[in-house]
Amino acid sequence: MRLGIISAIVVGIGLVGPAQIVAQVPAAFDAEKKQIADFEARVKAYDDLRNKVDGGAAHQTQTRHPEKLAAQRDTLRANIQKARADAKPGDIFAPDIQPLFKRLLKPALKGSDGAENKNTLKEEKPLVELKVNAPYPEKEPLATMPPDILKQLPIVPKNIEYRMVRKHLVLYDARASMIVDFIYNAIP
Amino acid sequence: MTSNRRLHFSIAALGLVLASSVLAVDQITLPNKPDSLKFGVIGDTGTGDQHEYAVGKQLAEFRNQFKYEFVVMMGDNTYGGESAKDFQNRFELPYKPLLDAGVKFYAALGNHDTPAQRNYKLFNMGGKQYYTFRPKLGVRFFALDSNYMNPEQLTWLENELKQSGSDWKIAFFHHPLYSSGGRHGSDMALRDQLEPLFLKYSVDVVLSGHDHFYERIKPQKGIQYWVVGGSAKLRSGDIGSTGLTAKGFDTGYSFMAVEIAGDEWHFQTISDQGKTVDSGVIKRRAAPATVK
Repeated sequence: MRLGIISAIVVGIGLVGPAQIVAQVPAAFDAEKKQIADFEARVKAYDDLRNKVDGGAAHQTQTRHPEKLAAQRDTLRANIQKARADAKPGDIFAPDIQPLFKRLLKPALKGSDGAENKNTLKEEKPLVELKVNAPYPEKEPLATMPPDILKQLPIVPKNIEYRMVRKHLVLYDARASMIVDFIYNAIP
Repeated sequence: MTSNRRLHFSIAALGLVLASSVLAVDQITLPNKPDSLKFGVIGDTGTGDQHEYAVGKQLAEFRNQFKYEFVVMMGDNTYGGESAKDFQNRFELPYKPLLDAGVKFYAALGNHDTPAQRNYKLFNMGGKQYYTFRPKLGVRFFALDSNYMNPEQLTWLENELKQSGSDWKIAFFHHPLYSSGGRHGSDMALRDQLEPLFLKYSVDVVLSGHDHFYERIKPQKGIQYWVVGGSAKLRSGDIGSTGLTAKGFDTGYSFMAVEIAGDEWHFQTISDQGKTVDSGVIKRRAAPATVK
């Protein structure tokens, strides 16, 4: 995240004259901040919705019986699907913030460190049909997320995770094992 | 049979029993002290195939003579599904004798595991993707989720390490910071994040899996690393010439048994055929005089 802001500032300095810097840097910074705040509010709304439907049978507890784990997850997912039946791609990763996410991801994929991060992401090639509210396929691995990448992205509530599915960035609900939203071709 | 011949036969039979007992005890290179901490290490186990069962059998047989209290799991606890049947076939049945004997399993998550496993009681994760436990005064384990090393987890780890007054600090997680694996190898991105914390807070030992073999790494900056990822899957001949290897075993399946006695960490690695493939002892690295 910090790198994203710094790169925006550097780009700003490169494009304008010294007299304009004072005025333009805060403007770019503010715009980015506003976009992130907007994204965080959308994620929080999702988290609130999940917490609201996460009662009774859906409430996840520790159990010795694995069939109950699956039942808890499936019930929670069904409740979320019902509560946001009209959800569509871009509801959380709104179209105007998608370029920012792509920009935030870039620094962690540059140079030799970036090559390592790319290799980590390439280790798993899950076959997942990206669909909002769809379950993440049980037999497909979850791609490991390099720490460098996670550091760049806005913080999301517990149990909501960023995951890469090949080149696509997915917002994944770890409790419901469900795709919340996604950005196609988030990385080159 | 006359009474004399019967006595002679009984003495001979007793001799045979004693000889086999002595032979079995000789297979253990660990000190097997009464008040030490004993545990097992397995990794990449969740196949449910005959190799997992073979290692499970060796684990159980080893415990007949070396009463370890618990087993730590390096992740990939169930491959390809998490139905009730998967948990049964890939965990509960292969390790049934141990579970029945009250041996506890502490799991870390691998890239083939979903976060839902944290709620599976037999993995003792306490509902958390990363957690810590202290099985004995002076020894603390830190189980990490290396699939999702976000800033929140790093902050948690630093706080836990800082607060821990334990002499022995042992971290375990799926992806190895050091490995000679041709398929995966060292996870440099993860190393960049974790190694500074391990050094700053004097972590002694780091256990991982992911690469499907056994490898004892030469100490790196004073920390002892192991890859124990061949307890059910094997990538034969995958250990490359990296200069990192103190001892490697990539021609069979294996698990490691550990005994912590005072400042000593004794280890013995056993194959699915019951052969010892590595053993030895390391000393706990001295805590620095000042922690910056």
